[in-house]
Amino acid sequence: MSRGPAITAMPPPRNIWDAVNPMRLLGELSETRYWMYLLLLPSALLITAIVLFPTVYGFQLSFTEMRLNRPAGNGAFVGLKHYERMLGDPIFWLSLRNTAVWVTVSIVIEFLVGLIAALALNRNLPGSKVFAVLILIPYFLPNVVAGNMWALMLDARVGVINDLMVKLGMLTEYKAWFADPTTAMAAAIFIEAWHSFPFFTLLIMAGLKGIPADLYKAADIDGAGAFAQLRLITLPMLRTIIAAAVILRVIGLVNSPDLLLILTQGGPGRSTQVLSLYAFESAYSEFNFGYAGALSTVMFVLLMLFAWAYIRLSKVNQD
Amino acid sequence: MTTRFDRRSVLKLGGGLLAASALTPITSAFAQTASINYWHTFTSQSEAAGLESVMALFKAAHPDVAVTPENIPNPDFMAKITAAVVGDARPNVTMVSSERFEDLLAMGALIDMTDRIAAWERRGDFDDSRFASISKDGKLYGVPGFTFVDWGYYRKDWFDEAGLAAPTTYDEFRDAAIKLTDPAKGRYGFGLRGGPGGQNFVVNVIEAFGSPVKSADGTIGLDRDIVVKALDWYAGLLVKDKAVPPSAANDGFQQVISGFQTGQTAMIWHHTGSYQDIASKLKPGVEFGTFAMPAGPATRVARLAYAYNCITKEDGADAAWEWIKFWGEPDAAVAFLEKTGYFPASTVAAGDDRIGGNPMYKAASDTLGFGIPQPSFPGAAGWAQSTVLPALQQILIGQATAEQAADQIIEGLAQAIA
Repeated sequence: MSRGPAITAMPPPRNIWDAVNPMRLLGELSETRYWMYLLLLPSALLITAIVLFPTVYGFQLSFTEMRLNRPAGNGAFVGLKHYERMLGDPIFWLSLRNTAVWVTVSIVIEFLVGLIAALALNRNLPGSKVFAVLILIPYFLPNVVAGNMWALMLDARVGVINDLMVKLGMLTEYKAWFADPTTAMAAAIFIEAWHSFPFFTLLIMAGLKGIPADLYKAADIDGAGAFAQLRLITLPMLRTIIAAAVILRVIGLVNSPDLLLILTQGGPGRSTQVLSLYAFESAYSEFNFGYAGALSTVMFVLLMLFAWAYIRLSKVNQD
Repeated sequence: MTTRFDRRSVLKLGGGLLAASALTPITSAFAQTASINYWHTFTSQSEAAGLESVMALFKAAHPDVAVTPENIPNPDFMAKITAAVVGDARPNVTMVSSERFEDLLAMGALIDMTDRIAAWERRGDFDDSRFASISKDGKLYGVPGFTFVDWGYYRKDWFDEAGLAAPTTYDEFRDAAIKLTDPAKGRYGFGLRGGPGGQNFVVNVIEAFGSPVKSADGTIGLDRDIVVKALDWYAGLLVKDKAVPPSAANDGFQQVISGFQTGQTAMIWHHTGSYQDIASKLKPGVEFGTFAMPAGPATRVARLAYAYNCITKEDGADAAWEWIKFWGEPDAAVAFLEKTGYFPASTVAAGDDRIGGNPMYKAASDTLGFGIPQPSFPGAAGWAQSTVLPALQQILIGQATAEQAADQIIEGLAQAIA
């Protein structure tokens, strides 16, 4: 296979100065297979500094005693102590269960609403550009703004949502959504889904543009209905994009406690306590960075396992 | 058009620049300013106005020191200051509340200020007790800027209408809360803070029932039976008496204050710092009054917590000290009180006529006589926030009994001090 025009060999050095000329040496190196490694070196160093080092340091912390308000024993290797404590810690198991509910329900709602919105917008009906902008607005709001805005709208005293629901006869009195464990998680998931479904809309819309129209025409001729086309053409063709979007959102949901921190702080009574919030609390409320490191390591491993299993089950890597 | 310079004009320009550069250090020496940044947790409008007043007075008195205030929201404070200490990006001065002192000292965030304070001309204006919560092993690490005096607010018009007096004991408090509750009118007797920040009141009630958090020897002082009784009484205001809004488990500062301002609740517990916020919506002495924290079955517990100003790095420490000690000036302290309601920490400033002459502050002045500081030990704030508050919430939402919550609280304390 041709790789472009043949490279002419470098002429031999004319003298000793020419032999040690850095530009000449660089030129010679560029024609060897080591050139690739040299080009990769800056990014490798950068990744090591900003990704690998903190990750490894986090792992190391999980095997270390590190309580900032107990400096005496800090830095000592404690083996699996934090992991053993985790096994017997009811708050860890509750947080794990809540994380599973928080992530699974949020992802399902975000994906379904995002898919419906993308399919609707892809039809290029009149006004779809305006709707596209309106749909994307929530995603551009920072979590802190979205969280505070919804906390006020759902407030048990002055919340406009309560007011509307009472006026429409859906409620007899104002509801304290975040004070009831059964509605606190549901309300938080609703807000999360409202905030993040445009992410799926955006990616799925991009994927829809890449599906050849001929496939749908052929399916029409074969008598396939809209649902059959969705099931047999659209979704399979979007598989890679959906997989990437799901993995990215799952990582985001597992790792970011900010929305729950604003809305409920894990309450009432830990009913919305998730792993990221527990790790944050362990680090910055109890200053136990060792235990927080162990919690973060478990989250990391769970995410890696999820990504591996999801890619295998969705057969994305076979495309 | 092009401009041409001849040799004469170039020499003139050069001479001028030389003269200007020679004069610059002299000029700047006269106007030299030191810049410091100040981390604080003020959030409400009245607090912001109070800080502005103090800064304006300081600027007039010390034009040579420029203070840049930086607001750190209270819930984020420990995360931010921890990161700043670990990353060596500390502010010059930070506000430190009593319960956070031990944790911050343990992580090496604070600078020893003993010598500066000892040589301070206004040291005598402050009672020794004011420094109790900011000292360790004979060393002082901060100066109290102002005082959080716990007290209660009550709807005077509702109390008058019902023929009730402001409560002085827990029994009277509970009776009044029950009598003034009328869910049909959307009115509840007490705005219980079961959300963020509500943990300290739980600890107060437990102590008022007779169980200290820690014993004198540093071991766990919590008595399970007493903790159960205290939790049963406090959470019972919602669970049994229904005298508290159903939203209590998620009600933080904002909700509790707005509930009182909008006529949802008849009484709330807070500190003097919310006085101006309340007075901006309700008429003092007519629509609302203030009362000293009622006495519990065993003792009367009201916290006198101080917001300390502390130096966190040696760099700029002299300018930082000027700013810190300015808070002890009576004019600054009274100006801050008038905008916010926060009481002066200086004994001299607290005795000012502008305070003593206001009957609404009588409850706070009385509390200065019997108020006590919050329990302080490494891990205290984390224990209260991560264990005590969720335990209370679990009772409020029916997920735990007072006994189960008491066990969680005691077990959590054991872990915190281990």
